[in-house]
Amino acid sequence: MLLLDYQNVLIQSVLTERFSGAPPAHIDQTVSDFDGVIFHISTPETKTKIQVSIQIRCYKDLLRYGAEQVLNREYGPYVVAPEVGYDFSVLVDLENLPAEKEERDALVNKIALLKRNAMAAPFEQAYQEHYQLREEASKFTSEEAPQGVREGGEVKAIQYREEEAIYVKASHDRVTVIFSTIFREETDRVFGKVFIQEFVDARRRAIQNAPQVLFRNDPPLELQGVPGVKNTGTGEIGYVTFVLFPRHLTPQRMPDVISHIQTFRDYFHYHIKASKAYIHSRMRRRTADFLQVLRRARPDSEEKERKTASGRSFKVGS
Amino acid sequence: MVRLTAASSQSLRPYLQAVRSSLTAALCLSNFASQTAERHNVPEVEARTSPEVLLTPLTIARNENERVLIEPSINSIRISIKIKQADEIEHILVHKFTRFLTQRAESFFILRRKPIKGYDISFLITNFHTEEMLKHKLVDFIIQFMEEVDKEISEMKLFLNARARFVAESFLTPFD
Repeated sequence: MLLLDYQNVLIQSVLTERFSGAPPAHIDQTVSDFDGVIFHISTPETKTKIQVSIQIRCYKDLLRYGAEQVLNREYGPYVVAPEVGYDFSVLVDLENLPAEKEERDALVNKIALLKRNAMAAPFEQAYQEHYQLREEASKFTSEEAPQGVREGGEVKAIQYREEEAIYVKASHDRVTVIFSTIFREETDRVFGKVFIQEFVDARRRAIQNAPQVLFRNDPPLELQGVPGVKNTGTGEIGYVTFVLFPRHLTPQRMPDVISHIQTFRDYFHYHIKASKAYIHSRMRRRTADFLQVLRRARPDSEEKERKTASGRSFKVGS
Repeated sequence: MVRLTAASSQSLRPYLQAVRSSLTAALCLSNFASQTAERHNVPEVEARTSPEVLLTPLTIARNENERVLIEPSINSIRISIKIKQADEIEHILVHKFTRFLTQRAESFFILRRKPIKGYDISFLITNFHTEEMLKHKLVDFIIQFMEEVDKEISEMKLFLNARARFVAESFLTPFD
């Protein structure tokens, strides 16, 4: 379990069970996911109609970047009016399932990827923008390109957590994805730095074709003038920049790259926490060792009365 | 002692040997009731009410980052250790580890809940401890502690780097 899954495993297992031909049952389940996303699986009318709703903090941002088109494209016939309190809902009728098992599994997977697909919209838009800009840029040499083409598209901000955001910016030769991430405590900050340093170095050392990773504590220049970007100067917030190069930007690789980059923040923090947990357990073990050494300093407590075979007791000469 | 010295590096050995000899010499404690408060018996090195029962403190330094302060007195002795911290990571790890230990000071008997200023961890050994426990084993404990704490910190640091590298490469490989 090194890499995180893209889909929501709980939704996947609930739906797989329901779709397997088991007798219809009443469901009312709330499922939470990363980044404060909440799902609601329910059977509002009859037991055969399963509704899955999603609530995302940044849904307004996502709508602005074309989430509706993406979701309609993915879930077309299943989309229904959103449930009260949620942002988006799909409804599946168990009596109208695809006949083939493969198709049913594909549908389960698709619904389990609801969060991924909603969040993918700004990335997909950035991809499209990149294709356009590349088209335009190919008409000029690099010196005489008009300002707009050289600078690239606007920065798309997705405020997906209370204090953390993803920024996506397309230009004619790359797409830049910036994660702002917050370190709650000193330990996280230091551990985070170690981890990020390895991300930065990995490209130089092992994986030449990986996206370039940059890290800094103050907002990068791309984010100048973007509302909501503050320079606190405390080093509490870190900005991790991924530069996706044309080889990552082919339409064939788009779905995988988008899915994968979305998991970065959770993956990163998950491994920081996991390292802390390991170090904690290690310290616990080492402490037990030290206690053992100290216990040796204590002379054996008085020996218990010993008895001879015949039952008489005697004292060991002192 | 042969076991200990075999494990330690060349420059560490004289340092630990010096600490060991000084500690053995300083751990010469006797019961001594307080002169200032009637029916009290307190560690004089902590109370500091009678200067005549305090002995000269002694610092043994391996370098500017690693040193041991031994403060002897008539009925108690305080040992403070400064653990090597080369960078930010080691600093955090030392801080976490010493905090972990001091939170369990109860079961360590001789561990002081708070290190004295300028040091990372302090021990307080009183005459009651030396009466209950074997003196040379107490010295062994301190020496072994000093030896292993360095080892543990550098191992944790190596682990962290190795894990970070592995994690980063696993994340970036799918892009390749």
